[in-house]
Amino acid sequence: MNRHISVGEKMGTLPSAAYHCSPWLHRPRATRSGLSPIFPRLTTVLCLALLGAVAVSAASIGPLPQGKVPPGKTLMVIQPHHDDHTWQYGFGGLIAKMTAAGYKGIYVRVSNDEKDGGMQNGWGANDKSNYEDAIAATKNLGIGEVISLNWRNDHMSSIPHVELRDQLILLVRKHRPDVVMSYHPWGNYDRNPDHRKVAWAVGSAVWLAGFANVRPDHEKLGLKPHQVPFKYYSQRSDYGRGYHPNIFIELTEEDVARKALSYRLHKIRVSAGAGRHTRELLDARGLKIPELEGLSDEQASERLQEMLMYWTSSQSGQDNGVRYAEVFYFMDEWHGVPGLESYIQQNAVER
Amino acid sequence: MNFLKQRMTTTLLVASLLLVFGSSPAAAADKKVVLVITADASDYILAAGGTIAKMLDAGAEGYLVRVTNDDKDSWDLTPEETARRTREESEQAAKILGFKEVESLGYRAGELGGVSPTELRDRILFYIRLYKPAVLFIPNPYAEYVEVLDRFYVGQAAEDARRAASLSNYQPPFAVVGLETHVTPELYYYAQPFDPRRREAESTATFVPQPKALDIASTFDKKLRAAQALKTINHSTAMRIKDRLESTDRRLPLLDEINEESVNRLVEINIHKLAEIAAKDTEHSQAEEFHYAGVEYQIPSKYLQ
Ligand SMILES: [Zn+2]
Repeated sequence: MNRHISVGEKMGTLPSAAYHCSPWLHRPRATRSGLSPIFPRLTTVLCLALLGAVAVSAASIGPLPQGKVPPGKTLMVIQPHHDDHTWQYGFGGLIAKMTAAGYKGIYVRVSNDEKDGGMQNGWGANDKSNYEDAIAATKNLGIGEVISLNWRNDHMSSIPHVELRDQLILLVRKHRPDVVMSYHPWGNYDRNPDHRKVAWAVGSAVWLAGFANVRPDHEKLGLKPHQVPFKYYSQRSDYGRGYHPNIFIELTEEDVARKALSYRLHKIRVSAGAGRHTRELLDARGLKIPELEGLSDEQASERLQEMLMYWTSSQSGQDNGVRYAEVFYFMDEWHGVPGLESYIQQNAVER
Repeated sequence: MNFLKQRMTTTLLVASLLLVFGSSPAAAADKKVVLVITADASDYILAAGGTIAKMLDAGAEGYLVRVTNDDKDSWDLTPEETARRTREESEQAAKILGFKEVESLGYRAGELGGVSPTELRDRILFYIRLYKPAVLFIPNPYAEYVEVLDRFYVGQAAEDARRAASLSNYQPPFAVVGLETHVTPELYYYAQPFDPRRREAESTATFVPQPKALDIASTFDKKLRAAQALKTINHSTAMRIKDRLESTDRRLPLLDEINEESVNRLVEINIHKLAEIAAKDTEHSQAEEFHYAGVEYQIPSKYLQ
């Protein structure tokens, strides 16, 4: 997710460059039961300390209709950065459910993530390391392939929209996904320009991939037009006007643990530097989290990361009457014909 | 002193705004001009065709600016043939609704993301200054979940064009050739009902378009016939639905055979349902819904008191 520090950035406290999406880290092998005793207190402290100035949730969330794994064989997750698939507001739980249900998963990582990491080993090293982590993390969710488009991280605003869109159309026609997931093309207040750029290109690609007259040259490769029937979009839903999700997906304890592990597999998310930075922020406000006392910076950041993952999943769950959930904006197969949707649903029969 | 000065300023401002709106050439003319901007051949008909037809029936003069050439929306036709047929069909449809003229700008459909927004704005600005409309219909660029992104680009450019058309520092060469500035008093933002939050009012301190549902019972048939005239696009829609259903071992009995009759029936179902969706929770049985910005919504409320 690459330096969309959302909360602190808004408060003007966290540096927007060189650090990463969030300073919260994960504790290895922690389970819900292991976390429970300190969980509410910790999250309260965290909220007060670090979310304090943020006006919570202009978007009123839930209870929403419950979403299910849709029928299909292939899912394609298209995101700008190595870790966007599985962060707190990402798709990790749903991806895990879908691959468990038999879906083949493909991750399209649009940028090279060269800025996500320190300068000590150079940008190339960041690219390589983040790419390897993306493979490990998506594999943990059941995804078998990572396709990196190698656009320069944080230089994506100047990519020609149509060029990026056409790359995605090519991949959509090749892999013929039943499901596409991405950042939300109509979301508000995602201040990461890579996110906005990719989300809009994805919205454009899924709209046009089904029309034979768009990039008719693809036909020469034997690639037919493909309509993507199901789309899931997400970004922070509790951030400014964010977006208004329209479904929730219930997650089990195992789903959350798997999602959290995937996030932790992105090493940059659990670095000592991130833990140290969070503690400095707390110190500056005269605050401390007792549960982090005695932990190394790296352990502390892992712990915090996991708290946030469970906290977010649990908040979405509470909003929707279950223990854990993810929320999304879901567009189903007849979204494009609102006047025909109910007629088709009522009158379509098996062949 | 300050109070008096403020009151005087307010009065002057309101008076000048009303003067501008009230004295636009279009408003002064016998025929009220309605200018409709659309990204593609079908969107404005499905979202606003009934309302537009009603205004034209009542004596207004209608002009349509169709920005793209719709060359993608067909089944088994080349882009060139699609563009040719759709142009013809969109002109027939506009005629049914009562338009006087259709201007097709010819941009390739689906490619507006690569077109300069300023270029697009200035193309539309030209027609605003040329026709001096009293009423402008534009795609709502704030409507979410409209997957046909051309509608967003056109809506944004058209909204910008409306403002720029009223200011002399935009496109000074136009003034040289007689295209003077023009303020369009009434603005309708239209969109098909993709956005579940479409009935929430847009609201800022100075510009407050309001949700508005209008009865279209008297022009429903015209709207339907206009929509049915878009044969190429309708056939494409029917084929896409059938293709999706077949790829998942389903079928829609209506589309077992795709011919003029079944496609027209599909369009009829669509138009009926869209009118029903827009009429929901209103006093109408068949309606269209807009975000509407008339004169009173363009003057900050504090100046109206
Ligand atoms: Zn990112």
